[in-house]
Amino acid sequence: MSQPVIDIRHIDKHYGQLHVLKDISLSVEKGEVVVIIGPSGSGKSTLCRTINRLETIDSGEILINGTALPQEGRKLAELRSQIGMVFQSFNLFAHMTVLDNVILAPTEVLHIPKKQAREEAIQLLERVGVGDQALKVPAQLSGGQQQRAAIARALAMHPQAMLFDEPTSALDPEMIGEVLNVMTELAENGMTMVIVTHEMSFARRVADRIVFMDAGTIVEENTPEVFFAHPASERAQNFLRTLHAPQGED
Amino acid sequence: MRNGTIRDFLYEAPGPKTRRRIRIATAIALAALLVLIALIIRQFAATGQLSARYWSFFLRATTWTFLGQGLLTTVEVALTAALISFAVAFLLLRLRLRRSRVLRAISTAIIEFTRGVPTLLFIYFFFLVVPQLGWKLSAFWKITLPVAISACGVVSEVLRSGVNSVPKGQTEAALCLGLTETRTFYRIIFPQGIRYVVPTLIAELVIVLKDTTFAYIVSCADLMQNAKVLISNYDAMLSVYLVVAVIYILINYLLNRLSDRIATRSGRRAASLPGGIAQ
Repeated sequence: MSQPVIDIRHIDKHYGQLHVLKDISLSVEKGEVVVIIGPSGSGKSTLCRTINRLETIDSGEILINGTALPQEGRKLAELRSQIGMVFQSFNLFAHMTVLDNVILAPTEVLHIPKKQAREEAIQLLERVGVGDQALKVPAQLSGGQQQRAAIARALAMHPQAMLFDEPTSALDPEMIGEVLNVMTELAENGMTMVIVTHEMSFARRVADRIVFMDAGTIVEENTPEVFFAHPASERAQNFLRTLHAPQGED
Repeated sequence: MRNGTIRDFLYEAPGPKTRRRIRIATAIALAALLVLIALIIRQFAATGQLSARYWSFFLRATTWTFLGQGLLTTVEVALTAALISFAVAFLLLRLRLRRSRVLRAISTAIIEFTRGVPTLLFIYFFFLVVPQLGWKLSAFWKITLPVAISACGVVSEVLRSGVNSVPKGQTEAALCLGLTETRTFYRIIFPQGIRYVVPTLIAELVIVLKDTTFAYIVSCADLMQNAKVLISNYDAMLSVYLVVAVIYILINYLLNRLSDRIATRSGRRAASLPGGIAQ
């Protein structure tokens, strides 16, 4: 197999005294969907955010397509532009229309002509099902619509990988499905994805690999079939038990 | 209530008893006000201030053109000072947001200095000291520059509070899309931050406008200076000051109304904006 898209090697991170990431190594191949699960405070969001340096690391290294993650400046910005990020709180730009949200980075960072960016943006918004909301500002959309627009905004940069940091945790239950459907469609189309989530049935359905984290370490990594049926570690067994049987559809 | 005033958030809707009490209080207050006005008029009459010679010149067009010219200068000084102040404040803000401790310290020092020193001292500096340094300024700049300097520290802090209230996620989202930090600031953070503080900025404009009344010190012919000329021409102090005060009040009232309207509009914008925006 070729080199991994994301290659995390022995990274450590502290918040003061707190050791939040302990010697973490993880690599993600092209087209792979890796779902990170674990209890709150296990470091899974932090890990996700180190991949595009929203969180800095104290030691170790992160390679994106074989290149070390730059520390700052244009190089870092350029690299970030290749990795899409979807946040728990959507973070659509509040002062712009949904369409302008999607067009901004393609025109300003990739220098795509405005007309072309606009056409593509409309296609993307239609693909995630919010084409009719394009000219509204984010506050006029429901949470689910905002998150789908945020996914479209990330896709407009033609990213090589997408990071999802608890994308449905801020949503009302009835809107979770619409966002997960968009993500499932992406996974099926071969997008490389790293997803931090609490949606176990979704994880089971979409993941190529489950990464289970606890207390700043990766405790266990396995295919969803094996992980959910026969978790090897006691901590994973306990974690799955506390979720009292995920509402899987199979 | 989304567009209510602060009162609607602080108090619940009054019941019948409270409404009666409000009506009584209103009546008493109105009566007191009328008595006060009557007393003032009586005092005016007693001291001869109502005599025609103090008021008749207001019937002449020249009086109003003269005051109008002054008003125009006042507005020019205030707007120029506000613009300069805004530009300097923006530069100070950019410095203050730098990572370099020295640059931040310099900015903080300038901000604290301009906030702490009274406007009048800056005016004396430009009036008395600057000419001695061989820098010849017109009366216009002798008032405009000190007023601008005096306001820039406060304006910078207002801008900073606006920028600081933009949620961190906005920055993160922009950085993740590959925007540089500078571009993130100009495209995402500042445009949102300034929206939060437009009402405060307009309130600051009122202060700038009031500061321009010091223009008489440097003999800049603003509204206040022209009022003083009228006073000595017609030997009529009270009536002129009264009229001029009303003019200042009107302008500042309009500015404050504008500020209120912008404040409620930006609160309502999200809810009322139609789906289609002209491109």
